[in-house]
Amino acid sequence: MSKYETGHPGDGCLLQYNDGELAAGEARRVERHLEACWQCRTELDELRATVADCVRYRQAVLDRYLPPPPRPWVDLYEEFARLDATEAPAALPKRLARAFAGAAQWRWAAAALAAAAILCAVFLQLRKAPSVHAAELLKKAVAIAESQPKAVRHIRIRTRTHQITRLIDGAGVEPALAHRDADAPAIQALFAAAHYDWDDPLSARSFQAWRDSLPSKRDEVTTVADPERPSESCYQIQTAAESGELASASLTLRATDLHPVESRLEFRDREWVELTEIPEPSMSGTPFNEHLEVPGRPASPSLPAATPREPASISDELQVMNALHQIGADLGDPVDVTRSGERVLVSGVGIPPQRQKQIHELLASMPRVDVQFSEPGAVPAPAEPDAGGRTALPASPAAAGSAQARLERQVGGRAEMERIGAQILDWNESAMARAYALRSLAERFPASAEASLKPAGRDTLEGMAREHAAAMLRHVESIDGAMTPMLTALGGSASAARAGKPDGTWQTSAENAFRAARRVEVLLSVVWGATPGDSGAADLPSALLTALQQLKAELEDCQRLLSRNAGG
Amino acid sequence: MSGPSVGNAFVGILRQERAHPALQDQVAKLFEESRQDVYRYLLTLGLAPPRAQEAVQEVFMRLYSTLKSGESIENPRGWVFRVAHNHGLQVRARQASEEPFDPGIESRLMATGQDPEQSLLERERMARFHQAIEGLSEQQKRCVFLRLEGLRYPEIGSTLGISASAVGEFLRRAVSHLRKAGHE
Repeated sequence: MSKYETGHPGDGCLLQYNDGELAAGEARRVERHLEACWQCRTELDELRATVADCVRYRQAVLDRYLPPPPRPWVDLYEEFARLDATEAPAALPKRLARAFAGAAQWRWAAAALAAAAILCAVFLQLRKAPSVHAAELLKKAVAIAESQPKAVRHIRIRTRTHQITRLIDGAGVEPALAHRDADAPAIQALFAAAHYDWDDPLSARSFQAWRDSLPSKRDEVTTVADPERPSESCYQIQTAAESGELASASLTLRATDLHPVESRLEFRDREWVELTEIPEPSMSGTPFNEHLEVPGRPASPSLPAATPREPASISDELQVMNALHQIGADLGDPVDVTRSGERVLVSGVGIPPQRQKQIHELLASMPRVDVQFSEPGAVPAPAEPDAGGRTALPASPAAAGSAQARLERQVGGRAEMERIGAQILDWNESAMARAYALRSLAERFPASAEASLKPAGRDTLEGMAREHAAAMLRHVESIDGAMTPMLTALGGSASAARAGKPDGTWQTSAENAFRAARRVEVLLSVVWGATPGDSGAADLPSALLTALQQLKAELEDCQRLLSRNAGG
Repeated sequence: MSGPSVGNAFVGILRQERAHPALQDQVAKLFEESRQDVYRYLLTLGLAPPRAQEAVQEVFMRLYSTLKSGESIENPRGWVFRVAHNHGLQVRARQASEEPFDPGIESRLMATGQDPEQSLLERERMARFHQAIEGLSEQQKRCVFLRLEGLRYPEIGSTLGISASAVGEFLRRAVSHLRKAGHE
């Protein structure tokens, strides 16, 4: 007997049916039900009318009233050519090497290597010389820079022994700040010796001027990750000089707009200068000091050439996470914390303005943290305000055989079922917020990373984890308390929960708890008719009871491991 | 690796090198067809128009790079929206200092004489619908907008980092909310 012969599919199920998202068998069952059921056919018609409203809204409102693109679209073929020309010439040889790396038969391997060598030679010949790329790139970068208004930029300049930050307005240094930098004259002397423009040191124009002055040079153009945003790419021009104070210099240009973001000058006496554009919010106008280096790591005034910057550490990230935790911004608020180069970036999606302000104020005193939000006007509602929308099953005598209908009868009618359903889904939402936060901590700070933290850092981390686990367990117990009598009355019984490993880590346990919570969430939404599930109605009460017991066991296990650490 | 498979790999890589023009055509065609949709999606994500336009171009260049590296993409349009969404979030985080994009749709919708083709009743209806859309949670909105762009639940889930069943639930809640607006 089809389950829809005795009950109605929920509106979630109808939407999935309408969207072609149901499995074939399920879709056929819904179809057969629709043939027989006026009520569900009407439901489906209304749902389709809402979908049609969405489409009309897209056409009549978004298409019509959103602003058009401000500029003509680029010719993508030109961009392809630019990308092809500037890509690392080693890309093809590398792919060939990879293809041949596993060759077991030496004859094939030898033939393959010979072919690869010939192909590389031909390929490199056919590619433009890097000098041409460098000159072209610099020319374009200069043209772009000169076509734009001069904005004030914050440039951090580091040498082996000094570090200062300058405000550059495109025409020179702001005098007030320049006078405050006691180290500036020493660095300026280096620039003078290298005949490199001190007034606008991080620019394509200055690099071009220096490069053009060289009688003999070698260029290399490569694609590298953006130092601030590793997911994006940059072009790096490296020019080696045969003569002069500077042995080589590199300039890193953002691929999207050829904006210079980083430069490094290598002197023949092994001195070096590194220039980096830094975002405004981190600036205080005073020179950076060595004590602002990464907590937990030794200050390194003389970094080796291959390590141009000290990246932000997990301690930095932990401090930010802990601060956010204090105001509950690690729960539900779509706040993201990432380490980006030497800074920790806190970004957010649709954060209400008051919350943004609160987070800005909270993190203002942290020197290596950037906070970047947009949408100050958007205040997204985290959940449906109306509980009625959550339960999907219309009351119907025909639904008497389904688990939902029996549940409805048991709790005393549809209104009561909706009320209880809304309460349970709220608890579940709170539990899931904790589950995500706990798992996020476990993922960010795996056992190996935690071991590298100082004792105070470990205490902070585990304190947060304990708090999440305890709060989550409270919500789960509330769900369990409300659901168990109902599910037991429906004939459900829990199987024994699987025991956790006595020697596991809390991180693994947190991940297990997260999975168990997801299982509970799915089953709850099936029980309350929010989504169709793969469990048969008869097994559903037992499945949910078992999942709840498992979740409680996982959480208790996690708490035990965290307490053990606290005790030891 | 046997001899023939080395040979196949060799031929495959050479073919890939030669196939760039075909890839370029493929990406350029998709760009032509989808750029406006991706641009609109990024505006709804909160990007300022110039940033949204740059982001669209960047996404299609990434598509080209990815295809060129030999990676196979089953549904390029879905891929483009997924990458555009993630890239858009990063751009949006960076543009915090800029004036946020405010479409001011509601006032323009109701401005008299704005669009004689639309009846006042229809404009009022759409203004209500716009309010209802604005009342959705961020996740619900993302699900609705991505679904409007033709993405399937698993693709939306992969874009937003949630499960397909969660997408179903967000859409269900969203449609239930919007339905009330349609009935008002």
